Amino acid sequence: MADNGGKKITLKSSDGEEFEVPEVVAMESQTIRHVIEDVCAKNSIPLLNVNSKILSKVIEYCKKHVAAAEAAASKASTEEGTAAAASVTKPSDEDLKTWDAEFVKVDKGTLFNLILAANYLHIPGLLDLTCQAAADMIKGKSAKEIRKFFNLKNCISPEEEEEIRRENQWAFEEEKRTRAFDAYA
Amino acid sequence: MKGLALAATSLSTQMPRGFLAVTKLKLTKPKMKMKKKKKPKTPESSQEQDQDSNFAFNLKQTTSFSLTHFPIQPLGNLLLGPTSKTNLRDTGLGALYCLPDDLLHDILSLLDATDLAVFSTASKSTYVFSSHDPLWRSLVLSKFEGQFSFVHSWKYTYVNSLTGKPPLVPKSLKITNFYSDYLFQSYLCANMEFKPEWLKRDNIQRRRGISVEEFISCFEEPNKPVLLEGCIDTWPALKKWTRGYLLETCSGTEFAVGPVKMPLERYFQYSDLVQEERPLYLFDPKFTDEVTQLGLDYDVPDYFREDLFSVLGQDRPDYRWIIMGPAGSGSSFHVDPNSTSAWNAVIKGSKKWILFPPEVVPPGVHPSPDGAEVACPVSIMEWFMNFYGSCRDWEKRPVECVCREGEVIFVPNGWWHLVINLEESIAITQNYVSRRNLLNVLDFLNKPNASVLVSGTNDRVNLHDKFKNAIDVKYPGLINLLKLEAQEKAAKQKKLTFWESAADSSTGGFKFAL
Repeated sequence: MADNGGKKITLKSSDGEEFEVPEVVAMESQTIRHVIEDVCAKNSIPLLNVNSKILSKVIEYCKKHVAAAEAAASKASTEEGTAAAASVTKPSDEDLKTWDAEFVKVDKGTLFNLILAANYLHIPGLLDLTCQAAADMIKGKSAKEIRKFFNLKNCISPEEEEEIRRENQWAFEEEKRTRAFDAYA
Repeated sequence: MKGLALAATSLSTQMPRGFLAVTKLKLTKPKMKMKKKKKPKTPESSQEQDQDSNFAFNLKQTTSFSLTHFPIQPLGNLLLGPTSKTNLRDTGLGALYCLPDDLLHDILSLLDATDLAVFSTASKSTYVFSSHDPLWRSLVLSKFEGQFSFVHSWKYTYVNSLTGKPPLVPKSLKITNFYSDYLFQSYLCANMEFKPEWLKRDNIQRRRGISVEEFISCFEEPNKPVLLEGCIDTWPALKKWTRGYLLETCSGTEFAVGPVKMPLERYFQYSDLVQEERPLYLFDPKFTDEVTQLGLDYDVPDYFREDLFSVLGQDRPDYRWIIMGPAGSGSSFHVDPNSTSAWNAVIKGSKKWILFPPEVVPPGVHPSPDGAEVACPVSIMEWFMNFYGSCRDWEKRPVECVCREGEVIFVPNGWWHLVINLEESIAITQNYVSRRNLLNVLDFLNKPNASVLVSGTNDRVNLHDKFKNAIDVKYPGLINLLKLEAQEKAAKQKKLTFWESAADSSTGGFKFAL
């Protein structure tokens, strides 16, 4: 199932750049799939909410995942018995996870734009991956670090701050314990 | 009129993933009786008045939050306000501000309790988002499962359960100019009364004391819903099932409540106190196994005695549930599994039902093409607020009713339905297959994606073959007979939809196996 002979479709970013991709890759986006299937799109689909930088990343993700799925499917069909097939697909699952982890090592601006694009284009795998990466940016940080990292404007007065800290004192104690543990790890 | 009235204009815009309706809400002052000069009623002004009353909502009298002190305002207030203000939400989120509220919520739901609590201390905006109670519900359920004692809110319950002490809620924290439709809508749905006008229409067919034959020919075969009165009058459950009796009889038993199992005392403690948009629902398919006495307190009404899945014995899919829940709990739109029909009997309380025939997808509902997934992301309350009004005057309008104690509703196979408890309610429901429905069910189980569609059993892939073989053993020749009858009928009748037919309809009737 090579993509060389398959049907191609053109995706046009908001800033006018055109990307020609195999239809099967574009259809990783359920939004695009509906346009193709229901609207009988011509060969070019304009995506007004996604710029070229983000669209190229999204296409990269879709290409990788389509290829990985195809590889897994062809291996499964050539191996005899599901047990053998399962043991063959496991390493490539790990490879894909590693690839995904590298894929989301981007600055937060790019990451949030990827989240928005994955949401708009309805690509569940990419949305889950990028949301988890955003959550990971928050995890383990102190309030001070969170403020700095995300550049939040903090209008909490000292009196209010004291109350909020007291309310969440249990969490700060947990945090200290976790950090102390991490220091030894 | 107690509580505050909100005038709302509804704008439904469909967004790709969330499909949330965007609602503009405007806070109006409570209507007070004042002596005023009466303006002559022009057609426009009376229409406006009607619109206002159409969209006005009352808060529950038990609500603990007051709109004048509530920190969150709907976006409409920012957009329609007199001066240009900044939204505290945005400044307090920094780089995160570009994410819509529902996605931000999804990200926060991936945090553990410690991280969520620390995040809440970063700014007033993060505090508001982190205080969204559904986040804490997930945390309570995953950490404590069914062993929590619900107090005030999920956030409070978490801290209380973790530390043994109640959290010190901030008293001097001032939050102003924070606008968010997502959060506001959620709080509104949690604290709003069910509007009386949503109860006005009751257009279901009601019957009392009809024969089984009449039920089959008038309702089961044409696949039409009906509300049956008086057919469970002899159930011991109607008199016996008080709280005290249930607590005593079910002592020590844990019932299925959403993703966890809980003893009844804990569930009642929760359901008595909770005020949320999607209350946890006690919905247990093994209740007669767990407490034999409960199975003895009720009986399947005569109309539904044919129960062909029983040929599978222990291998049959889940088929009977006890259902308990507070006001506001219920089920959003769905079609019952495995193409079965169902009956639902109310023992205590009352339920509002909305039903659409199989060929009419309810507004706001988005089934996937293969039927495996149904996206209905709005809560039941939100559905009533944003979608109910639009379909009431459709040509293919829904069947509606309120089902009260002692009444039984028949839900024909394939029909979409939504149910909301209007008060604390207890009910029993069963799904079944009779020969009117047998071919449909076999078709359904035989679908290529049966492994995804079939439910209530661990043996999805083989259920079709098992069932068919068991039927052939117990009722030899039945399947072929039904197929012949179906072919004859189809040859005679033009296919009519529910709304086109005067008497009989073949909606949901026999289909050819493809």
